[in-house]
Amino acid sequence: MINLAFKDIKHSFTKFIITAISVGILLGIVIIMIGVYRGMIFDAKELVKDIKADLWVVQQDTLGPFAQTSKVHEDLKDRISYQDGVKYAEGITFQNIQMQNSYGAFKVMLVGYDPLGKIKVINPNKIIAGRALKNEHYEIVVSQKTHYKLGEKIKLGRDYYTVVGITKNTVSNGGDYLMFVSLKDAQILQFTYTNERIRSDEARGIKGDNPHLVNAVIAKLKDGYNPKIVAKNIEDATHKTVFTKGEQIKLLLQRVIKKSSKQIGMFTAILIIVSIVIIALIIYTMTLEKIKEISILKLIGISNLKIIKMIMQETLILGILAFISGNIFARLIAGKFPKRVVLELGDAWALFAVIIVASIFASVFGVYKVLKTDPSEAIGG
Amino acid sequence: MSDEFLMKNGEKQMNNIAIKVENLVKKFGKGENEVTVINGADFTLKKGEFAALVAPSGAGKTTLLMMIGCVLEPTSGRIEIGGEVVYDNKWTVKDDRALRRKKLGFIFQAHYLIPFLNVEENVSLLPYENGEPEKVVKPRVKGLLDYLGVGDKLKNMPSELSGGQNQRVAIARALANNPSIILADEPTAALDTKRSVDVVKLLRKIAKEKEVTIIMVTHDDRLLPYCDKVLTIVDKKVEVKEQLEGVII
Repeated sequence: MINLAFKDIKHSFTKFIITAISVGILLGIVIIMIGVYRGMIFDAKELVKDIKADLWVVQQDTLGPFAQTSKVHEDLKDRISYQDGVKYAEGITFQNIQMQNSYGAFKVMLVGYDPLGKIKVINPNKIIAGRALKNEHYEIVVSQKTHYKLGEKIKLGRDYYTVVGITKNTVSNGGDYLMFVSLKDAQILQFTYTNERIRSDEARGIKGDNPHLVNAVIAKLKDGYNPKIVAKNIEDATHKTVFTKGEQIKLLLQRVIKKSSKQIGMFTAILIIVSIVIIALIIYTMTLEKIKEISILKLIGISNLKIIKMIMQETLILGILAFISGNIFARLIAGKFPKRVVLELGDAWALFAVIIVASIFASVFGVYKVLKTDPSEAIGG
Repeated sequence: MSDEFLMKNGEKQMNNIAIKVENLVKKFGKGENEVTVINGADFTLKKGEFAALVAPSGAGKTTLLMMIGCVLEPTSGRIEIGGEVVYDNKWTVKDDRALRRKKLGFIFQAHYLIPFLNVEENVSLLPYENGEPEKVVKPRVKGLLDYLGVGDKLKNMPSELSGGQNQRVAIARALANNPSIILADEPTAALDTKRSVDVVKLLRKIAKEKEVTIIMVTHDDRLLPYCDKVLTIVDKKVEVKEQLEGVII
């Protein structure tokens, strides 16, 4: 038997492959967009997941420290440590700062934590060079993507900090690079003012600054304690708002990146629709190019079914090749994006299903043209 | 003569008829724009007859051919193909496509081979579509191509052959499904005089050896002597001229 689709593809192989790759690049962009969306969700959860805390205690009636500003006194950690079920409690700060080095300007989230504390804030698996903080002053751990080197001195505020560790894949909920300093250094950077500001405040009757603040107190629970019950007890005892780890992640996803992820989702959906339209147009054009042959086939007695089979097989092969080349393209360029792109196999298969359905849908226009083609068009006169 | 002889002779005559067209009418358009192209065509062709269809451009040659080929629906009349009534003021055949691929062969002005199929595949297409097995189709196709002098071009693509070779392949394609009728629409239009004569001689040979009825549309009077009958469209009707005496064999 003769497979018309394979024969036609073989005949115009280069053209077909170039068309498939072109559609594939478009699909690759769709895959990247899905990856960017996944990356946003991944990044939003990453920092909270890395910090080995069960509870987040923040300023009362706020959604801090990520979704809303929160300031609490550092000594709150002592009250929380005495609560039933709490193993450790430590202060933590987060501050967005702008950095500039020879690689350009970039935004960084500076995390301040107690290097002598018991709660791990830096995921040890993500330290690719050097170590975590050990001393209470002038040490800094940086993300690999900041391009700082071990031992390099970085000026922050009035002081210089030595890079003692480099991490990989550590990002803030917004996808910015992370840098870690001791809590004491972070408090100076965030909560102390310049001499001019202090004098100005004193003139207004505001007395001094208070560096003993943190953005949140994080707590690790003893085994067997229900985080929700302990959180409720802490709220009652301290008049603060307390989130469990799960609630904090949910908050990040629902409040912090909801609109951005929706925007990306919308853009992805539009791109998928555009891809379907383009595939449909290509198939329709490919059918139009063969209209003379189709009318001859119909005239000599070849059934519609065989001709439609040819169109649909070509569409499916185009869809499959485009999908494969799109995936290769996406994987080749995913690493070049400044923010995380997460390419998941599940998404790839889902897109494959969409493309197959879309290809069948796209071939409808070609099939319609086949059915409408008058066999007498093959002959002049 | 006895009644039995007359009946048997009559049946034989009937069985010998390949195409019978009765009072065939074709009109295009409606109302003020209505144009009658064929108005009451009547003719009969026997098995193995090679007929030329001649008329000026626009007189309805292709229209008549397409009606016989069940491609174009007549306005009224009756068409019989190989003893089967296919049109009697309406289509009586259910699957025109199946009728074409089983009983008819088409040859066009240009070869109109499928460019993405090689010679063997172009010729094999219809027999395979008719459900014939490969072991039957392959040797028949090879035999046909040998018969037409292009047996060594089996694996060539149409783009690799000359115009004359392609037209021979097109004739092989028209014969591949063992049709009882071949409808040829100016098959020599794209060929020079020598090749035109070669093709017409070949068609005549096919008609006689394979008992295939052929209607060939042509503008070339030099080809008429090779035909058994000349059908001429005059005043929208078909005039039939037998040319038993003048036929060149």
